Amino acid sequence: MISADISTVLPEILLAVYAMAALIFAVYTGKDKTTPLLTWATAAVFVVLALWIGLSGDTGATAFNGAFIADGFARFAKVVILISAAAVLIMSQGYMARMNLGRFEYPVLIALSVLGMMMMVSAGDLMALYMGLELQSLALYVVASLRRDSVKSTEAGLKYFVLGALSSGMLLYGASLIYGYTGTTLFSGIIEAAHAGLPLGLLVGLVFLITGLAFKVSAVPFHMWTPDVYEGSPTPVTAFFATAPKMAAMGLFARVLHDAFGHAAQDWGQVVALIALLSMFVGAIAAIGQRNIKRLMAYSSIAHMGFALMGLASGTEAGVQAMLIYMTIYVTMNIGTFAFILSMEKDGKPVVSIDALHMYSRREPIKALAMLVLLFSLAGVPPMVGFFGKLAVLTAAVDAGMTWLAIGGVVASVIGAFYYLRIVFYMYFGDENKAGLDGTMNPVQWAMLMASALIMIVGVVNLFGVEGLAAAAAQTLVH
Amino acid sequence: MSLFLVVALPFFGALLPGMMNSAGRSACAGVTFTVSLMAFVGLLTNLPAVMAGEVVTARVDWMPLLGLNFTLMLDGLGFFFALLILGIGLLIITYGRHYLSRNDNMGEFFTYLLLFQGAMVGIVLSDNVLLLLVFWELTSLSSFLLIGYWKHLPEGRQGARMALAVTGMGGLAMVGGMLILGQIVGSYDLSVILQNREAIQADPLYVPALVLILLGCFTKSAQFPFHFWLPHAMAAPTPVSAYLHSATMVKAGIFLMARMWPVLSGTPEWFVIVTSAGLVTMVLGAVIALFKHDLKALLAFSTVSHLGLITMLLGTGTAFGALAAVFHILNHATFKAALFMSAGIVDHEAHTRDIRRLGGLRRLMPITFAIASLAALSMAGIPLLNGFLSKEMMLEEAHHTVLFGSHWLVPVMATLGSLFSAAYCFRFIGHTFLGPVRDDYPHKPHDPGAGMWMPPAILVVLVVVIGVAPFLVQDFVFMVAKSVIGDAAELKTKYIKIWHGLVPALYMSIIAVVGGLVLVRTHAPLQKLWETTPRPEAKVIFEAIVEGAARMAQALIHPLHNGSFTRYAMIGVIAMIAAGYHAWATGTVAAPVRELQVAGPVPIAGWAMLVAATVGLVAMHRHRLLSLILIGIVGLMVSIGFVYLSAPDLAMTQFTVEVVTIILLLLALNFLPNRTPVESTVPRRIRDGVVAVAGGLATFGLAYHYMLREAVTTPISEFHLANSYKGGGGTNVVNVILVDFRGFDTYGEIIVLGIAALLIFALTETLLNGPVRRRLLNRVPDQPRSGDMHPMMMVVLTRVIMPVVLLVGFYIFMRGHNEPGGGFIAGLIVSIAVVMQYMASGFTWTSARLRYPYHGVIGAGVLVAGFTGIGSWFVAKPFLTSDFTYVRIPPFHKFELATAALFDLGVFLAVVGAVMLSLESFSRLARRADTPESEYPMDIDPSRDDPDTAKMKEGV
Repeated sequence: MISADISTVLPEILLAVYAMAALIFAVYTGKDKTTPLLTWATAAVFVVLALWIGLSGDTGATAFNGAFIADGFARFAKVVILISAAAVLIMSQGYMARMNLGRFEYPVLIALSVLGMMMMVSAGDLMALYMGLELQSLALYVVASLRRDSVKSTEAGLKYFVLGALSSGMLLYGASLIYGYTGTTLFSGIIEAAHAGLPLGLLVGLVFLITGLAFKVSAVPFHMWTPDVYEGSPTPVTAFFATAPKMAAMGLFARVLHDAFGHAAQDWGQVVALIALLSMFVGAIAAIGQRNIKRLMAYSSIAHMGFALMGLASGTEAGVQAMLIYMTIYVTMNIGTFAFILSMEKDGKPVVSIDALHMYSRREPIKALAMLVLLFSLAGVPPMVGFFGKLAVLTAAVDAGMTWLAIGGVVASVIGAFYYLRIVFYMYFGDENKAGLDGTMNPVQWAMLMASALIMIVGVVNLFGVEGLAAAAAQTLVH
Repeated sequence: MSLFLVVALPFFGALLPGMMNSAGRSACAGVTFTVSLMAFVGLLTNLPAVMAGEVVTARVDWMPLLGLNFTLMLDGLGFFFALLILGIGLLIITYGRHYLSRNDNMGEFFTYLLLFQGAMVGIVLSDNVLLLLVFWELTSLSSFLLIGYWKHLPEGRQGARMALAVTGMGGLAMVGGMLILGQIVGSYDLSVILQNREAIQADPLYVPALVLILLGCFTKSAQFPFHFWLPHAMAAPTPVSAYLHSATMVKAGIFLMARMWPVLSGTPEWFVIVTSAGLVTMVLGAVIALFKHDLKALLAFSTVSHLGLITMLLGTGTAFGALAAVFHILNHATFKAALFMSAGIVDHEAHTRDIRRLGGLRRLMPITFAIASLAALSMAGIPLLNGFLSKEMMLEEAHHTVLFGSHWLVPVMATLGSLFSAAYCFRFIGHTFLGPVRDDYPHKPHDPGAGMWMPPAILVVLVVVIGVAPFLVQDFVFMVAKSVIGDAAELKTKYIKIWHGLVPALYMSIIAVVGGLVLVRTHAPLQKLWETTPRPEAKVIFEAIVEGAARMAQALIHPLHNGSFTRYAMIGVIAMIAAGYHAWATGTVAAPVRELQVAGPVPIAGWAMLVAATVGLVAMHRHRLLSLILIGIVGLMVSIGFVYLSAPDLAMTQFTVEVVTIILLLLALNFLPNRTPVESTVPRRIRDGVVAVAGGLATFGLAYHYMLREAVTTPISEFHLANSYKGGGGTNVVNVILVDFRGFDTYGEIIVLGIAALLIFALTETLLNGPVRRRLLNRVPDQPRSGDMHPMMMVVLTRVIMPVVLLVGFYIFMRGHNEPGGGFIAGLIVSIAVVMQYMASGFTWTSARLRYPYHGVIGAGVLVAGFTGIGSWFVAKPFLTSDFTYVRIPPFHKFELATAALFDLGVFLAVVGAVMLSLESFSRLARRADTPESEYPMDIDPSRDDPDTAKMKEGV
């Protein structure tokens, strides 16, 4: 039995072993000189694992008495997490080297946090949930303050850590209440105990669990850390924050709500809907005044999480499917956008102000066009693929009878479109005199930017089949 | 030809001119023309079916799970618009080939143009509303690229931004409206939606859907109050203006209103919103147009005005209104495109579009004069030209329309609009072509080649033909109007003719033309008046709105995200309390099943001390040492609470942990000033106090609720109580859990503990080897320190106590399996014994006498525990299976030997090692340069011969 368990979690075990081996290898050999090697090796491991998980058949296996679930949903989320983490890693390599941030711990920490994310989306038990969450978070706390000589980076890491600890505390409080009222930490056990309706204790536990998870997905009003951390962290770390962890946290959110509280969708649906609505509006409104593109992307991510939560709030299979589609598209767009942000520099120094983008199309017409596509897609303007993500969640919400939420979402997306379009405007019709980017782009970043933009256009044909895969994944989650 | 091909041809064809750029300008234009022509012919092959009243459809599933199907449908309305788009497109391509100069990138231009054309055709042929949205926004995007084609013109920037912002956001709003429609009907197919008029209009969501869809239409078709973007988008090359801003893109909003007419119109909401918006736009646009000097701006505002006219007609909701709207769309497309192209010719030849620098072109450019004049006269509503016919119908409809209960409001406004419309048409002709020939044109004008004047000429021929012989197009227009109306209303025939008799519309028309002439005669003084009157400038307002929105966003967000950590925490805590309250308020509260217990004096005293200590802590938190003592009281009371509630194990653990933590905190305080500065104001403290009290009350409420009720399932403790002795050989359940039931967890924990200690060691080691070391060594404490840091009494006392404490530790360890105690607590007690030596006798003295390095102790602990676990493998049991037996060695009583005790030894060692290693590491930080460590245990020792003591003796 133990061997069956181990074969189910083999990808995770291999990643853990790899991370530790890589750490020891780097410590005893060239230390920071091995960073490029480790970065590429880690990315390669991610890709291999993604292929393995993606191509293996859906067994729906569980391990360790149900504490670990390897169903279609988990596989879908894991593939997205692994691929996006690999992409962010290799595209940030050049930046890290130039900014003297090329520490060998970085790829190792990323590997560990990805391991935590894989645990999160596969969690079938409150303890596995917490373990995955903390493994991911602890690694992220460290990378957020990777630039130790920068006050902002350190402050960001510290804020993130303390607020994260607070939210973890709430989550644990909720988890203990749930355990106290059901006598089990297994999701499958909780859903049975909660079948007849939620007693007060369980409901309070659920609400605290949701607040803890809302922090992790940076949903309003638990989003406060996001702008500071996005701004303060080194840009590659910000890029990482904006991709894989978001998918993982969303996956975990869906996992808990459906696997453990699937019968109480009306109880959590309203709470999640409110969080979604607040996130969309705060994200959209707050970004209007931002001129720092990293901070702007932070608010953008808050708004996007609101949209993804809208899918979740509907509490249906279509809602989960929509959430998965949305997140996949969101992650893809962000990889391209951050590839571009990573390349923004002037006189060898990184630039983060959107004023630097004035008349960018004159100097770099192709890159400007790619960014135009990505920004339109982020704004959800048809026919870019980003629109289909929005459409999916809006449809799910409308079908679940949450028309008010959908209308709110539309209004928020209209407000939000403003700041994306403003960047496009700067790039195409900006002020000649303010122009100011002179850096070249490294080939990996260029490739990521172009690939991401191309996907946003070509994906219109059939979304590369993601829609069907997401449907299959959602089916294994929602009972 | 299949509809798919008609839509796809421009898209695929768009690749060609871009790739053929090097093949020359004519080749680019040629291939673009061919592509458009093929699509045009393909469309025409469907004419017989459409005229027969059939609806041609084509369908393929796209993303069925999202309700997205690639379905196309061609009915009269779609055919009409597609015909306009492709037909005028052909003319524009010809014109553009000759208009663009040698320096312009021809391939890029035609690629964008074909993209745009494809998107427009897609809009009018879509049968799925979501598909329609896709094409809709694609036109915004490609028009953005087209407007931005001449990037070097600074005035284009603002226009492009407004165009993009207004139409893009309008389109997104429409997404919402379409989704609601789809939800009401249950399908996103237009053909289905159009069948459900009653269901849609009865739905409570009809109004939101209507508003959202109209937002999209109004922004796209530049209707009031969104009329301002269109004239500013005119910086684009003239072929673009002629194509996008007269014939096609701005008509997309009109198209959609016509498309949705059967299901959305006829309600009071529709009537009021659409009619009044159209009416205001019509008059406003015409008035502004009269006072514009730029030819293209004049035409742009006239377009706005005419779009308003069509909107107004659609808004009335009658069949006749729809018919007039369709007819005017046709007429407007012909004369306006011709006018734009004429204006372009003037600009191209005279190198200016400023009407004040023109005049007298009649003799220099006779062909252009003829074309432009005929088109302008048609726009002014002069009989025998097509503009007259539809304008008459509009006035007729206006005559019957009652808005806001007033019979005269619409007719008067419509007449006024026509009057200004006639005026600017006359001005266009008069000030550009008539009058004396000037000698100061920027460039000597003459008629262009046939390639440029032919396309507008073809349109003008249509203008005249329709105007003279309307019966030629009558059937076609009726057919289109019928497909607009659907089953919603009945259309009577025979409206379109030149002479209706002496009807009110004719009088209104005459007033308009005569009034227009008068206005042109008095134009100069009027212009002065206009320029001196203050009026809201849309561009300024737009800017102000953008600025204001940004400022508002800042004002709204800044208080929330000011970077202050306490604020974040406060918002987080408030949200959590609110979430908890929500759960409390919505949950079902079961009746209490337990009695309230009577509080005895002991708990009350304990509670009072807890409260007093906590309140004191809050009040005196700025005094750090005092806070530490108060925290100690809180910890002690909690330990006592455990004792009172019969949890001696917990109490002992808590107690020992408490001591170790306080020592650790003392070490930390060594580096800090004794008091913290005042950082918060009184209101802020009150605010924080309120939040804190709310949080406390919430926790109290929850606790109170739980204590009066049973848990849902049987507590797990019963299992442990039942199996503790039987399975683990111990009666102390807590200890048996730690070393047996969950021994594997404990094993992991001691490893983690060891790692943590090593990490602390490593960190302080790095710190002390780095630049921080000097700062630490040279820091000056904020208060003078005692000269006698290691007093004799304390040294003596701790040394006497040490064996006693060790014995207590041993005792606690041994009884652990059956009575409260165990390896963990014993480890802490022994650590305290050693720490006391450090504190009393000094660092150097103590470490010189410790024989075993702490690293080794930790390792030994982990190894002992590990080998105990592995031992069970030798008897073919799983890792960490425990066993026990009773032995009797003669002088003693019978006692138990359990493998668990061995495991507990590992725990003990690991705890001692970890605690000592971390404390030692921290205390190394505390050294200072000015007080060198002495090798003696006591600072003052009378029996010792050292300078200090000697000095002291002498001093005495």
